[in-house]
Amino acid sequence: MSGRGIYLGLLLLVWGQAVQADQDSDLDLIPSATPAPVTAAPAAAASPDRRVYLENATTQVAATQDPAVPLPAPPGYTWQERLLLDIRQDYPIGQRSRLFLSDRFNLRDEDDLPFPSHEDIVTDFREAYISWRPSDQLYVDAGRINLKSGIALGYNPTDFFKTRSVTEPLSQDPSAQREDRLGTVMLRGQRIWGGGSLTFAYAPELHRPSAIYSNSNLPSFNPMFDRTNADDRWLIKGSVDFGGNSSPEFLLYREAGTTHFGTNLSMGLGQSAVAYLEWSGAERPDLITTAVDYGRETGTLPAGAAPPIPTATHDTFKSELALGLSYTTEADITFNVEYLLNQAGFSRTDWDDWFAAGVRAGPQSPLLDELWYLRRYAQDQQQQNTRQAYFTRADWVDAFDVKLELTAFALVDAYDHSGIAQLSADYYVSDTWTLGAQAVKYFGSRRSDFGSLGTSYSLLFSVAHYF
Amino acid sequence: MDKHNIASRILAAVLLLTLSGAAWAETAQEIVAKTDEVRNPKQSFHNDVTLVSYVSGKERDQDTLAVYSKVDPSNGQFRNLVQYVAPARDAGKRVLLGEGALWFYDPASKTSVRISPQQQLVGQAAIGDVLTVNLAVDYTASITGTETIEDAAHTKRDCWHLELKAADALATYSRVEYWVEQGSYMPVKGKFYSDSGRLLKIAYYRDFSEVLGRMRPTQVIIIDAVDTSLATIATSSDYRYQDIPDLWFQRDYLPRLDAQ
Repeated sequence: MSGRGIYLGLLLLVWGQAVQADQDSDLDLIPSATPAPVTAAPAAAASPDRRVYLENATTQVAATQDPAVPLPAPPGYTWQERLLLDIRQDYPIGQRSRLFLSDRFNLRDEDDLPFPSHEDIVTDFREAYISWRPSDQLYVDAGRINLKSGIALGYNPTDFFKTRSVTEPLSQDPSAQREDRLGTVMLRGQRIWGGGSLTFAYAPELHRPSAIYSNSNLPSFNPMFDRTNADDRWLIKGSVDFGGNSSPEFLLYREAGTTHFGTNLSMGLGQSAVAYLEWSGAERPDLITTAVDYGRETGTLPAGAAPPIPTATHDTFKSELALGLSYTTEADITFNVEYLLNQAGFSRTDWDDWFAAGVRAGPQSPLLDELWYLRRYAQDQQQQNTRQAYFTRADWVDAFDVKLELTAFALVDAYDHSGIAQLSADYYVSDTWTLGAQAVKYFGSRRSDFGSLGTSYSLLFSVAHYF
Repeated sequence: MDKHNIASRILAAVLLLTLSGAAWAETAQEIVAKTDEVRNPKQSFHNDVTLVSYVSGKERDQDTLAVYSKVDPSNGQFRNLVQYVAPARDAGKRVLLGEGALWFYDPASKTSVRISPQQQLVGQAAIGDVLTVNLAVDYTASITGTETIEDAAHTKRDCWHLELKAADALATYSRVEYWVEQGSYMPVKGKFYSDSGRLLKIAYYRDFSEVLGRMRPTQVIIIDAVDTSLATIATSSDYRYQDIPDLWFQRDYLPRLDAQ
């Protein structure tokens, strides 16, 4: 054999051994244990039609020292102990109907409420409706229904039924707040076929609009239809499967004589990223005008109250937008980054006017009530207070290779860069027990969107048992 | 080495090359397609997948999913609807591969969020690892060569060594090395890479059993190549043919799955 042949042979031999070594090392990584045989027991215990859990949460809150615009009332509790039973279940009724129920019973003790008292018990009657399937493609639902729309995480311009519906959430994470809200009494029809779907919903007016609730005047056993059915509303939405990558959905919504248009679009970008856009638009007044109108209508503000800061009184076409990107890293952390716009919200000038009026007013001035009412109204309506904001969220499942899920988010005002940041940790002790911890920090100067709020930071510890 | 010996070796080499050439006349794409037929029935079907996660060889977690799969006749790819069955805190969550996109539905928030194929599902399993997919549709394949490798049971298998490149945005990985046993078209091993070329996972296929009319692998061992102390074993069971209406693969059907 020539020298070249020997060299080639050796090369092949070495390569072969390298392949074999690589092979062996891969095989060594296979766990020696064999999975337990699959039995029906776990599946039967955890039905997808049912989720019931009992949770206890302890919260400590630190108030802001010396806020730039004094709060008209104390900011609320500094500690709270809350025990809640959360039930979501559906039951078959014959071959073509189901009954859906969703409720949360809260028992709470906090330093701004007497104990025991009826205020310590709050029931969130979220959903109760019957779903009937007259044909294979057609569904008719009637009752209290949580109808949600939107694909963004930080703000949902097309989630038209979100207004006034959020009840005492344990988390400030906007995506978690969607879980703790009241449904709307409505009649909904939906047709789903292989190429798309079409939904129609009508929610009747059942109650006069009511004043905004505070933490201390929530009723114990009351469905609070005044929060969800104070106006006639209807929604049409449809999605069409074009077979492409954009998955479009279009919405048409009407409330109080105003028609809103909306769309949800998303697009996959390779194996790890998704871009998405959620938009709605309508000819309507700005946040300041609608807040003052609502305050007058519900008697919270005097009948002749003028806006506490200058504002345009005429309607213009205003957009709400969430433009986002999600990306999953090789370490299995999913990041979302979003730009959020609410053209009806406070502009930079509005913020300057709000702070200037608040500082001028002095601690006993009735103007403070009106100024803070604008902020409370935005929160109650689940409407973004500021015109432009940024939102980012990170979710790490199986963090540090243990049964730990870490979630962090930050919502930042684009004008003054104040914001809210939250870090949550959920440790799954077992299939049925979860321990949770959460830290929330409001940051920014005294004269900023989030820095001016009554809360500086809060800490929460919880334990939950799933049945 | 005498001339006769050299001639014999040249003849053997030519024969080997000819035989290999005959085998490789079957294109890489055809091999992957035949392997897809081994892994997946052609008709719509249901199966349960139990995912057991391991850390340093010790069991850490167990999750159960119900998977409903049906081929989309327009592109030959499977559409999937996945429902979390256990544990209780996740029961009722759903994942849809349809309309050219992946959606995650949480019954607690009652919203559907679009997700990427690499988003983590359970343990070391990405969503794309659990879904029923025909690799020949999502990837463009080429043959690297033939190799004899050991399978998960340390049995030597004569394999085609294939290189798969993502040809579709819904492909879970940018690149895959894939070992398929010659003759039987049984998948033996896969190595899965990220967009940046980093090795993410190693998979071994095992427990070949008679399922829905032919021998198929019923267990996949997924090893985390970044942190090799982590592994997940996905075991499929309760296979059955099931007629699945097309509307199941619409996003708005996700909240309706129980309403049957």
